[in-house]
Amino acid sequence: MTILTTRVLIIGAGVTGAGLLRDLALRGVQALLIEQRDVNSGASGGNHGLLHSGARYVASDVEAAVGCREEGDILRRLAPQCIEDTGGLFVAVRGDDEGYVSDFSALCVKSGVPCQGLELRTARAMEPALSENLIAAFAVQDGAVDPFMLSLDNIAQAMSLGCSMRRNLAAVSMEVTDGRVTLVRCRDITTGGEVLIETELVINASGAWAGRIAALAGAHINILYSMGSLIITQDRIATRVINRLRPPSDADILVPGGTVSILGTTSIRVPTPDGCRPSVAETDHIIDDARAMLPILGRTRYIRAYAGVRPLVSLGPAGDDRAVSRGFSLIDHASEGVENFMTITGGKLTTYRLMAEKAADLACAKLGVTAPCRTRKEPLPPSSMGKWTEPGRGPKSWVESRAEDDIVLCECEMVSRSVIDAIVDEAKDMRGRSMLKAIGMRSRVGKGPCQGGFCGPRITGHLYDREISTGTQGLAELKTFTERRWRGFSPILWGVPLMQADLQEALHCGAMDLEFGPAPSTRDEESENCPATAFKEPS
Amino acid sequence: MDFFSIGLVLACASAALGALWRMRGWFKRGVAMGRPGQDRPRPGVLGILGMLVGGLADLVLLRRTMRSPLRWTGHTLLILGFGPLIVLHAMDGVVTRPFFAGYEPTLDPWQFLRNLFGLLSVLGLTLLFLNRCMTLKKFSKLQDWTLIAVVFGILISGFLLESFKIMSAGDFKRMVDDYFVEAESEELISLKAYWARENGVRFRQFLPTAPELLELGAELHEDRCAGCHSPTSSAFVSRSMTSLVPASLYIADQGRDLFWYVHVGLAFLGLALLPWGKFFHPVATGINLLTRGGTRTADTPTHTLARGLGLDACTRCGQCSLHCSVAPAHRVLGNPDILPMDKLADLRCHLDDRLSPGRSAALVEGSHICTECLRCTQVCSAGIDLQDLWMASKKSLTEAGRAGVDGEIRKRTAGEWARELASRDLGRVGGTGAGLADRAESFWGCVQCTTCTGVCPVVAVSEDPSRDLDLAPQQIMNLLRMGLKAQTLGARMVWSCTTCYKCQEHCPQGVPVADILYELRQLGAEILRKKEGRS
Amino acid sequence: MKNYDVMVIGSGFAGMAAALFAAERGLSVAQTGATGGIDFSTGFIDLLAVHPIAEQKVWEDPFAALAALRRDLPDHPYCRVSDDEICRALEQFTTFLGHHGLCYRGRAGKNTLTLTAAGTMKPTYLLPCTAWNGVKAWEMKAPTLLVDFSGLKGLSARQIAEVRKDSWPNLKVARIKFPGMGGELYPEHMAWSMADPARRAELAQNVAPHIADAKYVGFPAVLGMTDTAAVLSHLEELLDRPVFEIPTLPPSIAGPRLRAAFDRGLPGLGVRTYTQKLITKAACSEEGFSFTAGSGSTSVDIFAKSAILASGRFFGKGLRSDRHRIFEAVFDLPVSQPKNRSLWHRPDFFDPNGHEVNQAGIETDANLRPLDAQGRVFHPRLHAAGAILAHQDWMRMKCGAGLAIATAYKAVASL
Repeated sequence: MTILTTRVLIIGAGVTGAGLLRDLALRGVQALLIEQRDVNSGASGGNHGLLHSGARYVASDVEAAVGCREEGDILRRLAPQCIEDTGGLFVAVRGDDEGYVSDFSALCVKSGVPCQGLELRTARAMEPALSENLIAAFAVQDGAVDPFMLSLDNIAQAMSLGCSMRRNLAAVSMEVTDGRVTLVRCRDITTGGEVLIETELVINASGAWAGRIAALAGAHINILYSMGSLIITQDRIATRVINRLRPPSDADILVPGGTVSILGTTSIRVPTPDGCRPSVAETDHIIDDARAMLPILGRTRYIRAYAGVRPLVSLGPAGDDRAVSRGFSLIDHASEGVENFMTITGGKLTTYRLMAEKAADLACAKLGVTAPCRTRKEPLPPSSMGKWTEPGRGPKSWVESRAEDDIVLCECEMVSRSVIDAIVDEAKDMRGRSMLKAIGMRSRVGKGPCQGGFCGPRITGHLYDREISTGTQGLAELKTFTERRWRGFSPILWGVPLMQADLQEALHCGAMDLEFGPAPSTRDEESENCPATAFKEPS
Repeated sequence: MDFFSIGLVLACASAALGALWRMRGWFKRGVAMGRPGQDRPRPGVLGILGMLVGGLADLVLLRRTMRSPLRWTGHTLLILGFGPLIVLHAMDGVVTRPFFAGYEPTLDPWQFLRNLFGLLSVLGLTLLFLNRCMTLKKFSKLQDWTLIAVVFGILISGFLLESFKIMSAGDFKRMVDDYFVEAESEELISLKAYWARENGVRFRQFLPTAPELLELGAELHEDRCAGCHSPTSSAFVSRSMTSLVPASLYIADQGRDLFWYVHVGLAFLGLALLPWGKFFHPVATGINLLTRGGTRTADTPTHTLARGLGLDACTRCGQCSLHCSVAPAHRVLGNPDILPMDKLADLRCHLDDRLSPGRSAALVEGSHICTECLRCTQVCSAGIDLQDLWMASKKSLTEAGRAGVDGEIRKRTAGEWARELASRDLGRVGGTGAGLADRAESFWGCVQCTTCTGVCPVVAVSEDPSRDLDLAPQQIMNLLRMGLKAQTLGARMVWSCTTCYKCQEHCPQGVPVADILYELRQLGAEILRKKEGRS
Repeated sequence: MKNYDVMVIGSGFAGMAAALFAAERGLSVAQTGATGGIDFSTGFIDLLAVHPIAEQKVWEDPFAALAALRRDLPDHPYCRVSDDEICRALEQFTTFLGHHGLCYRGRAGKNTLTLTAAGTMKPTYLLPCTAWNGVKAWEMKAPTLLVDFSGLKGLSARQIAEVRKDSWPNLKVARIKFPGMGGELYPEHMAWSMADPARRAELAQNVAPHIADAKYVGFPAVLGMTDTAAVLSHLEELLDRPVFEIPTLPPSIAGPRLRAAFDRGLPGLGVRTYTQKLITKAACSEEGFSFTAGSGSTSVDIFAKSAILASGRFFGKGLRSDRHRIFEAVFDLPVSQPKNRSLWHRPDFFDPNGHEVNQAGIETDANLRPLDAQGRVFHPRLHAAGAILAHQDWMRMKCGAGLAIATAYKAVASL
């Protein structure tokens, strides 16, 4: 059993928790961030990667629109390494709501969101993949953001200022004495051992799990879970973000992600945030809808799908006036009798910094710290932790500065052995359920067309060579990794990807008999699967 | 000293000195090409005899031109005609007169032969002119047209000179003054009448037509003139040309004078120009044909002098360029030095250090596009050992650091090229490229099976593919799939690819690997060309 | 138009076997096919090892397993062939391979466990002789040296030793440099280089210091391409130990070895092979079948009285799919398949039940003739063989090559 002491305990290493760690670190407040799995395991790891211009919300939520615009500007200025400033288009096709189209421009002006009407010819010259049936087009300032690099860079800077982070630590109970949380009991997922944390203040930044964590402290939040699925194309379809110009609906947005494009999304109520995965029905629905604006989406090769769960906080006994401000919820549970416990949840990736700022403001008020927030001005330094998630970085570094005896282990994304070694060395003690998974999270391994089918076994061999894997553990981790990638792979298996899957199963099962033991280690944590049948095809 | 003597001396001096200068060039350029290797076998005695026979056959029978009937016929006619004209007519003073007693230019068979040979020459030259217009226009330069014009001029002016001489009353008078003594008063007029009627002389005065006077004229002619004058009708070309001049025009004397100067002047011009360009080809090509001994390959031993001679022997017939295997590259790139005829001329200039930097770059490019297929050497009418010239010049250019696109690319590493090219918009190849490397569909099928790399012979012969080739074929496909073209252009795999097509044939998913690698080469070459300021 | 008795569509195990059997029967045979599934073969010939797959029950006696399977799964293609036919088919197939440099062996009526690149032990029926010493070493748990090569990504000796360490503790490992090659290594090039005795000597020299008290030496399967027996025996001589091969991860050379044996042997039997061509047009009539193989200027027109469809599954291009359905690529035969795509795959990749899509395929009569949409024989002289057949999951049942060879035999016998 280990005992840790910290001034502030942040639970949940999504982008909000990461941003919060950094904000507090910059204010000189020591904090510990704990996470039950790995960085961005929740919605922060399952979103569109879109830096909203705000134009999407000008009709439905003006505050959100303004917030997105302001925060987007800040991020572009202060964290450019995480952002590709692609610009965006809003396009409507024949059959779309013409009223919405005609109001759009004026609404953008009202929200202060820059927006410029385009001639259809111009729009199609800018993005040749667009349909010939366009009826309107506008240019906006959307961008693409890498949420992994964002979180990792935030955490890296915070750690350089004296804060710390522990992965694979799940909070299981809290001791509340005299209206204060005094102790948080955690379980170390890797070892199974117990870790006790003594802290002055607990910030619940666990996103969709906020309700469960709050309950540990005896607080109550009503959270509804909305799952959204997205699919990734093998190649980058458009240079810019392409939005459907209609009242926000499914399959509205195509966002470039480096060398690929991400198409989505859907919105389905699910009963639990755990184990949610994209379904075949959603995939087909997204493609059938989106190809109206980009016909090539009906023919192109997809490499995987993924899903994230958005927490929707319903107005309940907790948080009335503070609740649902700017689309996010900052709840001070003092109103429920727990004085040093607060929750920050909801919101959008684009506004994470603002959420962290507000939460940190409240935290500092409680702690009696007067240092002001610095994240509006302070640039976010790029970190080595985050650098290998950038698409294209692996191959570029291979061509330009390959070490003499280095070899490529992940062929699709050209991630070399030396890069994998660097990642492993950094994450070695925090492997969690699978070192392979950890590598996958910190790099592009497994994200290419083979979806880990080839690189999984190769890297497993390498991990054995380095004596990081022993016994049958490496095989168990390979299976974990494969199952994890399977969640995203199985919905898009037709055409060429089905051939790829055919080949993968021939290799893993037909040739290596891996379907026999050892068991993958994912089973216990995701025993409740979200029923994929919850999705109903629109009529 | 008169026009003729001065002209002759000057022309001969020019020809002789010029020829010596040209021959000096053979040595000089041969040396500049570098030492020939000793790897070609030396022929034995029988071999040498064979070469002699072969060389003579080439020279005399124009064997190497036989594949093109039009050219062979034209050339043969021209040589059959013009050769004797030079020897028997132009040089009649030193050749015909001493060897043939009683020679007079106005006597048959010489008069007839002169016309015959002249006609053959004109026919032959016309065929050659037609050939040049129909198939060689794009290759032709000033020297080609000038030679045709000068020879044509000589021939036509010769006929015209003879025509006017035939018609010239002044010449008649001169002859009569020198050789005829009139016994009776009608004798002269009879002779005139006879000559006017039979030999086409144009007299201003009215001439009688009475039969007994014509008879008298015939007798007198037989007696006094026929010894040196055959009927001018045997000068069948010139005589027929006289009918082109209307009877009312009495310009024969002036015409004769004019065309004498034209004819002799052009002849001297032609002689003086002998050392210039194409004019020299009868000498250089003739010698080259003899020394090459009839072979069509690159098997004969080479020496310095032979190389220099070869460079000079080009007749600009254009056959090499017309048959060049890489002519399509010339159609696309427009670089004239891709084709052998211009490449040869520029190589010659290059060896004289007279080539501009732009042209020099074109020469380097053309040299390296050449695939050494041997076709030009086989079809060369002049029998030049082109293969030897190409290989030697390629070697010396490479040694001087001018190795063409392939060499330029290898001067920097793949990483360095990636950095330099990363910021550029690497457009699609030319406009003529299929853009396979840019199209996403090209890579949709790739399942990372690495079969392409497994069958690649270039990878097979490399001891360390990552070190020697930078990237394997399937790695290049991956980079392109990710849109990272700049990273691939400098990879030595791209530049070592033999386009054997095994990768593309074996790919289970239809990725056009070989076509894409070739496209990258095209793009790389285009980029380098732009850097050199040529496009 | 070329005229043949039989057109074999496909050049995987089933296609190669069908071409062989038809040629040895004296029929004139044309065969088309391209790089596909067989290029990723392990080289092992599986007959049947797991049934029922949901229980992951592994059988030592494949014929007992066959009996149980025929009882439980009446639609399985193995129900269309008898044990006798299976034995004769395998005999004929392996004899042919033996004549062309690929010797196979196994134990009659028994599956044998053999080592894979992952370190797992896989049950199979017939193995390349080059793997047999490994079986002996495993069964005796003999002290063994496993060699791998730096730069060869497809096999980690240490992984195998670690995974096996409880059941085979005497496995030692050594990583050595492959003679004459550096950087990234590719099995096909390595295998060809082993034809040079000097290279083999250098390899043995590099290995020798590591042998110590090992009784066997195991290598990644790169020991020769067309002359494996010679390479192996030379190495055994140099190392003074029995030697065996372990198949590597792809790109392995088991597939190219098989393909090379067939490319050498089949034309000698009169088979006209149209390599690297797929069928682009097919038309049926009472007289037979008209095919166009390949496209563009190199396409070929072929007429055959009978045809055997051995075109494989998705990777082999025998079956195509879009978002909604699976199609058969040559004749557009009806494909037995799950109702929609959400039923094709299960949520867990390693689900013991396997994936439903892998059981999709062509349904046939007792003589392996495909059925049309009404359940009647599509064409009296069209047969199907191999993995394209419905109601079997070769990857989970471990019956791939065996099923292919046996059904090819039956198809040819029924012509």
